[in-house]
Amino acid sequence: MSLLRNIAAGLVSLLQKKRVQGDLSEELSDFLERAAEEKMKKGMSRNEALRDVRLERGNFEATKEEVRSAGWESFVETCWQDLRFGTRMLRKSPGFTAVAALTLALGIGANTAIFSVVNAVLLRPLPYANPSQLVFVSEAKPEAGISGLGMSFPSFIELQDDNRVFGAIAGFGGHALVLTGSGDPSEVSTVVVTPGFFSVLAAEPLLGRVFVPEEGKRGSAPVVILSENLWRDRFGADPGIVGRSITLDMRPYTVIGVMPATFHTPFLSQSIQVWIPLAQDPLFSVWMTRPPQEHWMAVIARVRSGISSAQVHAELDAIGARLAGEFPAEKGWAIRTEPLQQTITGDVKLPLLLLLGAVGLVLLIACANIANLLLSRATSRSKEIAVRIALGAGKSRIARQLLTECGILGLLGGLIGMLVAYWGVATLAPLLPSGLPKVHSIRMDGWVLGFAFVLSLATSLVFGLAPVLSAAGSDPHKELGEGARAGESAGPRRARACLAVAEITLAMVLLTGAGLLMRSFAQLTSVNPGFQPKHVVKAMVSLPQFQYSTPKQWAAFSEELMTRLQAQPGMRDSAIAGPLPIVDCCVNLAFQIVGKPTLQPGTPETADYVPASPSYFSVMGIPLLRGRLFNDSDSDTSSPVALISEALAKRYFPNEDPLGKHLTFGFPANGVVSREIVGVVGDIHDVSLGKEPGPMLYVPYAQAPLYGGEVVVRSTLSTSAVVSAIRAVTHGIDKNLPVTDIAALPEVLYKSVAQPRFRTLLLGLFGAIALILAAVGIFGVISYSVSRRTHELGIRMALGAQPGSVMGMVLRETLALTLIGIAIGVPCAIVTARLIARLLFNVSPYDPFTLALVPLALVAVGALASYIPARRAMKVDPVVALRCE
Amino acid sequence: MSDKPSDLVQGTLDMLILKTLALEPMHGYGIAVRLEQMSGGVFRLNAGSLFVAFQRLQRAGLIKGEWKATENSRRAKYYALTDQGRKRLNSETREWGRQVAAIARILEAS
Repeated sequence: MSLLRNIAAGLVSLLQKKRVQGDLSEELSDFLERAAEEKMKKGMSRNEALRDVRLERGNFEATKEEVRSAGWESFVETCWQDLRFGTRMLRKSPGFTAVAALTLALGIGANTAIFSVVNAVLLRPLPYANPSQLVFVSEAKPEAGISGLGMSFPSFIELQDDNRVFGAIAGFGGHALVLTGSGDPSEVSTVVVTPGFFSVLAAEPLLGRVFVPEEGKRGSAPVVILSENLWRDRFGADPGIVGRSITLDMRPYTVIGVMPATFHTPFLSQSIQVWIPLAQDPLFSVWMTRPPQEHWMAVIARVRSGISSAQVHAELDAIGARLAGEFPAEKGWAIRTEPLQQTITGDVKLPLLLLLGAVGLVLLIACANIANLLLSRATSRSKEIAVRIALGAGKSRIARQLLTECGILGLLGGLIGMLVAYWGVATLAPLLPSGLPKVHSIRMDGWVLGFAFVLSLATSLVFGLAPVLSAAGSDPHKELGEGARAGESAGPRRARACLAVAEITLAMVLLTGAGLLMRSFAQLTSVNPGFQPKHVVKAMVSLPQFQYSTPKQWAAFSEELMTRLQAQPGMRDSAIAGPLPIVDCCVNLAFQIVGKPTLQPGTPETADYVPASPSYFSVMGIPLLRGRLFNDSDSDTSSPVALISEALAKRYFPNEDPLGKHLTFGFPANGVVSREIVGVVGDIHDVSLGKEPGPMLYVPYAQAPLYGGEVVVRSTLSTSAVVSAIRAVTHGIDKNLPVTDIAALPEVLYKSVAQPRFRTLLLGLFGAIALILAAVGIFGVISYSVSRRTHELGIRMALGAQPGSVMGMVLRETLALTLIGIAIGVPCAIVTARLIARLLFNVSPYDPFTLALVPLALVAVGALASYIPARRAMKVDPVVALRCE
Repeated sequence: MSDKPSDLVQGTLDMLILKTLALEPMHGYGIAVRLEQMSGGVFRLNAGSLFVAFQRLQRAGLIKGEWKATENSRRAKYYALTDQGRKRLNSETREWGRQVAAIARILEAS
């Protein structure tokens, strides 16, 4: 009740200011008159009486002020005054305002743009109900240092049926099927799932229904769920699609539902077009009946509510132990879980946080620069402030006014910054590496805008602090006293020096990070991949498995394809192979050396497996080191042979000749057989440029064909000419075969380092901005110090100092600041370098080259920045300097 | 004793003003003089603290002001207790008595 009255009374005095003030004056003058009358009755003159009352009761003008400022409305009023005054002051110096606001806008804009990425990728919860209950289930073999592998189908089934901790659980694998019958034959990205997939994610279809448990069994009718995008693009958003039949890999599937476009699966590397039950997949259904050996199936689960992670661990340990007892191949393996969010963002978390930290440092440097500018202004405004203090303004009142000014500046910068961020997000989004999860959800939402707003206010506090403190410390007696020079007292000067040192320190940290990433990126891109990508073009030809169902057919097709392709002009160097290095790595298979115990009893050795046609090695430029390559006589009727890579030879045949030895291995479709090693070829980077070459196994394509494969051609023809030749030849054999995933190998290699390139570019950019800002900061401090010391320099020159020594003095000042900054910066930079060590390739975080070059660059930039003020100092005319003031 | 009202126990000025107004409505100067008389000249009130207190009590709804014409054809603002103000005065007087008695007991005990 009284709160309402208080608000009402405050509003009245705000709105009817004149009347309220008039009333107060009248009341006070009544008070004054009555008191004076009393005194006059005692015989004083009227003037004496009035003076006496004022002495006793205080200054009545001050009283009015006191009453006015007692209510809450006065706070609003002074804020308004401060805002108006602040705006006026900023308008009076448009140059300063523009520079400060733009610096801030860039800083806040860059921060907001990076934050919008961090927000979308790391902070925003997964787009499912109760996302914290979702976990990624994997198998690990701690003693062999293996973790994060998928599960085998039988193990998954046991886990699904026996656990009491998961409300729902599902396994899945990525695949691609050929869609024919509606437009051109094309490959559609497919996920094969166990029926619980959608209920784990609590996802509802747009049309129709999701899978039911019966559809997970072998022998049930083939069904498919489409994505909304595929439904719109290929089926014209047909509302009657449910119940219709579509053709995948030349086999009819009945559509049972459509998933909305808002249903994303960021834990899969690409956006998905169709979902089919595992049992209906031509490739993976084979694995359903095999004993648990291949860890191929990714598993997600939803933990029941109220179950702790300790309970989950205990349950999974128990089930893991039981599986190990049941299947020998599961010995030593354990079932692990991690939050799904972590699985998705694990790889990008550090780089993103690194970028956010870097851009934050840039903003801090920008703040230091603005604080410096404000300090110079505060010095030139010291008289104004001194006058206001002398007239009775409290120090807190002055501080509030200055902070308001900074707040206006900050918000102005923030406002322009949001535009910068908006533009930045639009520019950034297409540049983002495609592997970044949840890219589609990057946008400027309320959280991002809120971040920008809070950041604007926080920065204004940061850069406002130094000038406000120095103003609050000003002494009107000194400032206004006789002969006061417009000189700076020691306090602000030290503050300015500290700011310059801080800028150098921050720039040192940023530049070291950027330098290390650049060195690492240079190392990464100069890695010899082990093959020669130049002039090599690849394309994938896939065979629908219900039409081409036997390995014999596959082999016949590939032989026909190769014969026809090599007959084309300029296409002599053509080959077909399994997964290509870096492009679509890898099939990792277990193998055993015949007549030799495994290195770790009970666990098979593994190597990446590639079936390749004879000319593959010459097309790819992989050198033969010993023995022979494959030739046309290696067919399915000749004895099985294999080539091994140098790494495999070194690791498993350290002191003996591998030629003639036998290895037992095989891909499911072709069966496990014993193969004779006929040659050793050079190592290649199969997984990525950043990963050391591992052991490789090559087998003749004719002995272990696949349902299609990657066609590689080394040719001096253009990429498009090569591709149309591949297309023409393929369609000459079968017009329903899709030719997809066309790429030139150099381009694939270029794209494979998109993430490190992106972060190196951005960090390099931030480093450059930091360097420029730091240079501007040093320039500001030194040129200000020179202009303030004109008098002193004049005296020195008059007393005979040489211009060179004056210049040396100024340069020494800069050097001192820079060196202090570097001295503080080195340990900070080393700490930062250790934090990002995981992102570095072949570069030590203590890389002496970077750690030496960055300080040198800073010293050089510092010298450059102080050169102009130093020259000005040198040219000081003693007569002019001593006459001024 | 000092003549500064800030030397009054925090909040007592409000109570004393309410007490002054318990008998009859009064203008600002009258309140000041009455307070000084009643305290035997111990309190000398500065206009600033008085008028801030008037504004505060008015906004709290404990007193209300009314403009009246004076003998020499000026306007003066007379303050009067509201019902709420009278209640507050009673409760504060009781509370004050209790506290003073308690403090006195403590001081005597030592």
